[in-house]
Amino acid sequence: MTAFLQAYAIPCACAFLACVGFTLVFNIHGVGKLIAGVGGALGWLIYLLLGQSIFASFLAAAAIGLFAEVMARVRLCPVTGYLLVALLPLVPGGGIYHAMRYCVEGDTARFLSTLLQTLGSASALAVGAMLASSLFRSVFPHFHWSGK
Amino acid sequence: MDYEKLLNLAAELGYQLMFSGAEIYRVEESMHRLLEAYGLERPEIFAIPNCVIVSAVTPEGHLLTRMRRVPGHGTDIELLERCNALCRQLCAQTPPPETVQLLTLPEQTRRYSPRQVLLGYGMAPAFFAPLFGGGWQDAASAFFCGLGVGACLLYGGRFLGRNSFFRTAVCSAVASLLVQLLAGLGLGESIDTVTISVLMVLVPGVALTSAMREIMAGDTISALSRTADAILTAAAIALGTAAGLALGQLA
Repeated sequence: MTAFLQAYAIPCACAFLACVGFTLVFNIHGVGKLIAGVGGALGWLIYLLLGQSIFASFLAAAAIGLFAEVMARVRLCPVTGYLLVALLPLVPGGGIYHAMRYCVEGDTARFLSTLLQTLGSASALAVGAMLASSLFRSVFPHFHWSGK
Repeated sequence: MDYEKLLNLAAELGYQLMFSGAEIYRVEESMHRLLEAYGLERPEIFAIPNCVIVSAVTPEGHLLTRMRRVPGHGTDIELLERCNALCRQLCAQTPPPETVQLLTLPEQTRRYSPRQVLLGYGMAPAFFAPLFGGGWQDAASAFFCGLGVGACLLYGGRFLGRNSFFRTAVCSAVASLLVQLLAGLGLGESIDTVTISVLMVLVPGVALTSAMREIMAGDTISALSRTADAILTAAAIALGTAAGLALGQLA
């Protein structure tokens, strides 16, 4: 039980709170804060469960995309805010940093491999969320543009 | 019906939407729906991230065009939701364009006080630190460094100018220096973890997400410009952090 808590519950709670922090920066009010936070926690849970690979971030982004689309339909609000904030924990900030470190140290081989890894996970994020959104729209076309 | 006022209203709505960080297709579609709701046939709308152009032919045969430049801007979801709701209301009720209070919308929008926004800038890195394997000390250090970066972003605009590349680079350098300073004072175990957590508030997640949504909608030009924005921001972060690390090692 404690192992489960440490491995999944605490990181997800942290992702939730970090996303709530971001909602203050992006001026999201009310229930939107909760939705963005839950989206971030959901994404991070899937990312952890699937082993923190590029494929994991692809599926996590897809899950976030789907969740954000559903929530936007439920609340009749633009999907932009929820998607934006919930994806932030998955953005490879560490990759940028480590690539920079290797570049400065002159370690070209590791710099290039980290850079490619970073580009890969950034594209996985983009494609994952894109795919989920497009799929959702083609399955429920009548819900286009917030049900209008 | 005063079509000049109507076109002005549509351009203003597009401007506000773009300013609040809406996607291109949302801006174009909102303006299109608005003009059609008021009975203009086949309005032409063109939007890229920093410009909105709307053109239409009135039923009498007059040609009208309005263009609106959009300056560099952040993301304001509350304003976006307000504009969206207003647009929907206008399309449903079509009140006379001159009675619509669009210009006061930004003032009416709820905003967090600078202190709350600053808290957000501190909170996000503090909770990212455990995600990247840091302990509570790292989280505390990330919190304070996040506050520092937030203060730079919020109050440093006057000194840093409007160039977002330079601003991001300076903020990254400040973040990196603050992390090293706090580590030197004994707060924070892993400099790498704390730095990465703090950099997460500068990372181009928004540009990346917007770029991909533009691609999805088929607005390739806007997608390319946002992708370039994301890559430039990432480069600025790398440059700033490298400078900060180098300075820190000198001291």
